[in-house]
Amino acid sequence: MSPFNRREFLKLGLTGGCLIAVGGSQDIITRVFGKAETPKKVIILGLDGIDPHLLETWMNQGKLPAFQKLRSQGDFRPLRTSIPPQSPVAWSNFITGTNPGGHGIFDFIHRNPENYIPIFSAAATEGAKRTISVGDIVLPISGGKVNLLRKGKAFWQHLEENNIPATIFKIPSNYPPAVTKQRTISGMGTPDILGSYGIFNYYTTDTAKINEDIGGGRIHEVYVIGNQVEAKLPGPINSFKKDRPEASINFKVFIDPIHPVAKIRIHDQEFILNEGEWSGWKRVRFSMIPTQSVSGICMFYLKQVRPEFKLYVSPINIDPGDAALPISTPKSYAEELEKRFGAFFTKGLPADTSALDNDVLDDGEFLQQDDFVLKERVDMFEYELSRFESGLLFYYVSSTDQRQHMFWRLIDKEHPSYDPKLASKYGNAIENIYIEADKIVDKALAKVDKDTILMVMSDHGFTPFRYCFNLNTWLKENGYLRLINEWKQGQDSFFLNTDWSKTQSYAIGLNGLYINQKGREAEGIVPQGKTKETLVREIAHKLESFKDPKTGEHPVLRAFVAKDVYTGSYASEAPDIILGYNRGYRVSWASPLGRIPKNIIEPNTEKWSGDHCMAPEVIPGIVLANRKIVLRFPALYDLTATILEIFGIKKPKDMIGQSIFNLRRP
Amino acid sequence: MWFFNSIFGKIFEFIFIPFSKMNPWIGMAVASFLTGIFMLAIFRWTSNQEGIRNVKNKIKAHLLEIRLYKDNLSLSLKAQGNILRYNLKYVGYSAKPMVFMIIPIVLIIIQLNFWFGYESLSKGQNFILKVKLKQGYNPLHTNIVLKPSSGIIIETPPLRIEEEGEIDWRLAVAEEGSSNLQILVNGQSAIKTLTVSQNSICRISPIKVQHNIFQEILYPGEPPIKKDIPIQSIEIKYPQKRMNLFGWHIHWIIAYFILSIIFGFAFKGFLKVEI
Repeated sequence: MSPFNRREFLKLGLTGGCLIAVGGSQDIITRVFGKAETPKKVIILGLDGIDPHLLETWMNQGKLPAFQKLRSQGDFRPLRTSIPPQSPVAWSNFITGTNPGGHGIFDFIHRNPENYIPIFSAAATEGAKRTISVGDIVLPISGGKVNLLRKGKAFWQHLEENNIPATIFKIPSNYPPAVTKQRTISGMGTPDILGSYGIFNYYTTDTAKINEDIGGGRIHEVYVIGNQVEAKLPGPINSFKKDRPEASINFKVFIDPIHPVAKIRIHDQEFILNEGEWSGWKRVRFSMIPTQSVSGICMFYLKQVRPEFKLYVSPINIDPGDAALPISTPKSYAEELEKRFGAFFTKGLPADTSALDNDVLDDGEFLQQDDFVLKERVDMFEYELSRFESGLLFYYVSSTDQRQHMFWRLIDKEHPSYDPKLASKYGNAIENIYIEADKIVDKALAKVDKDTILMVMSDHGFTPFRYCFNLNTWLKENGYLRLINEWKQGQDSFFLNTDWSKTQSYAIGLNGLYINQKGREAEGIVPQGKTKETLVREIAHKLESFKDPKTGEHPVLRAFVAKDVYTGSYASEAPDIILGYNRGYRVSWASPLGRIPKNIIEPNTEKWSGDHCMAPEVIPGIVLANRKIVLRFPALYDLTATILEIFGIKKPKDMIGQSIFNLRRP
Repeated sequence: MWFFNSIFGKIFEFIFIPFSKMNPWIGMAVASFLTGIFMLAIFRWTSNQEGIRNVKNKIKAHLLEIRLYKDNLSLSLKAQGNILRYNLKYVGYSAKPMVFMIIPIVLIIIQLNFWFGYESLSKGQNFILKVKLKQGYNPLHTNIVLKPSSGIIIETPPLRIEEEGEIDWRLAVAEEGSSNLQILVNGQSAIKTLTVSQNSICRISPIKVQHNIFQEILYPGEPPIKKDIPIQSIEIKYPQKRMNLFGWHIHWIIAYFILSIIFGFAFKGFLKVEI
């Protein structure tokens, strides 16, 4: 090899210097798709679950000055929600500008008609189709994938086709994110690293007081030996191994013999926590095979050191810096946020409502955790606002929804879980989150100029959930559902005790009711056509007529027949009847998963005490804008049409809404 | 030993101080450049340059032989055998300079690790302080007091791990500026320095050790702990640092070796070194 001459060396040095300078600089920031300038700009704040009645009350009391300012600049209207008013359905209406018949999301939970098993409606995971086995190890040849089950084109995809840039931050019903060049990150529906909607781990020496078979969490009995605790953090299923074992990480906790403090050692990380302290995000890596591992993030909370040891570990979120599953478009968007803000919540519903419901976290601890969520959202919102220059910015906040679900019992004295002592301490949790939302609106208002349209919206409102309606029990009591063994009623889930040969109708999901239709369901008995039509109308009528013997109220306010309310290509996949519950009532905890308790109505003693899976007219959402709203009763899908109109895009045929503004009027 | 360590440390300080506020890749490039030149110089002075040149020429000649006589199997095999033989001879010629290089390179790496291996602490950040006692001292029965300088807050009570003879604290930086931590054990005191800085590269000593030649070579960042103090080591858990290469975070030693080799090859002709 000939030596470099001086000129070549200088060239090499210059090139190397440039590479060093670029390589060491901040990473190249992902550019949002589309042209740099648009004549109009749109900011949409999606505040999940903001209720028009509460909002108006606190606005009128002067507690929400930014909301009030926005109303005075433009308008405020209740917003017609979806049928049923569940978040995945409602947000899909908004995303696609259609009703559920157009996007195919009818409930959180759908069912497989071949086996009557409940399935998640939003996404489906496919394993690798082709693999090779080497001893105990299974190597995928083709990659597995996660499919978004929501159909229809998202409004930001329409914007993309028209060269309008958009950033879509954590909109629900978009996991995995729809294919786009726009900057998007998935929200509600995004699983934890186990592929579930969130499983926490709780390590304690005191398992007696906790039901080990709880939903949304795993309880681990541990022993303190020599002031040390050894435990395992369970991870995802290791599909690289033939017997698909659960991956796990061993960790150790060192406890001071006197002081209420402990050190946790996991991998090569060590951190010390005082009793009652959160660790912040910790990265954990589950080894699958020597060349493959999965990275996740979780928080530790040292609840108590003694007399009983209690350590909570949050659900393991997908690591945004090294995502094992698709959570953003482009992939680098999540990484960019992670580099700027550090690890952040990626699980769809970030606050751990299961831990609160199961007394693993108390009210104060849950609020601390949700404060982390909120702070993170506010920080990221400020960042996105600061770089928002054109097109559309959609930003979603979940804490408004989660806190109303969990703390309604403390503002509703008629609620079976009302506790005056707790109410005096945490009774303002809902009001406080409205005040926090107001601060977010204020930040958005500060960014608004004459060309910016600001819309603040919610997908639905809220109402108390005092009584559980066991829909499958009602069907059984009315002769539409038969059991194999009467004496076993209430014991089995997933309809294991159901005699399908004599069952005409069954309920799965939070609002759906299906006819056991011949040719559609595996053991269907009701022929399609007039017989089914008559049966559907009969059940709907009976449900609406049913009265709660204790209160005299109708638990079911509306029983919508699907064919009357849905239009679009996927309407035939809908449940046959969609129930709209009355204020105070909701489907029970048992019914959506095919359990049939003995009583039709039971008090709801859970902490999950506010809800929105009711009749749409009971819980409208909100829309506020800095423009006059001309539609008297705007609906979610009208906002989609509005977005397209603002940017001068012709509304596609499958969109059913209309603009809420009259933008042509000067 | 500390005298040697402090002189050696000062040399590195002298090299890196001008680059402390610049992108760490600049300091890394300087370190790699100097190392590359240093390795070339050692190689030139300690190796048989003529022998290496001859061996390389012979390898080239036999490679040519394989190309020319590719139809002659016995000649090709013989040439391959010769290539192998001269390769081994080449390795033999390289062994001597490697022996001369290994000790200074290890010492350089130890020093560089102080500059590139750890992130300095900044305001608001917390960290763990670990004090390991000498064998025979039980942390539960030893009177240990931590006195940080102003600007450092003790966030947890001492966490005593009897089995490991260790006492840990979590501390936090409240103010920027030079800081140290005084640890009093049974009335005797040891001081551990703490680096709080906004510089992109700065010298960080994570561990202070007892008098012990091997330990002092490995951890030469601070004077050793006096023999009569019953502390084996004092450690601050600084965050690990990574070099950012287009968003890809690599260990500094990878960057260092690659850049040193690049500089070495770039300058071997200029310094007339046969490698």
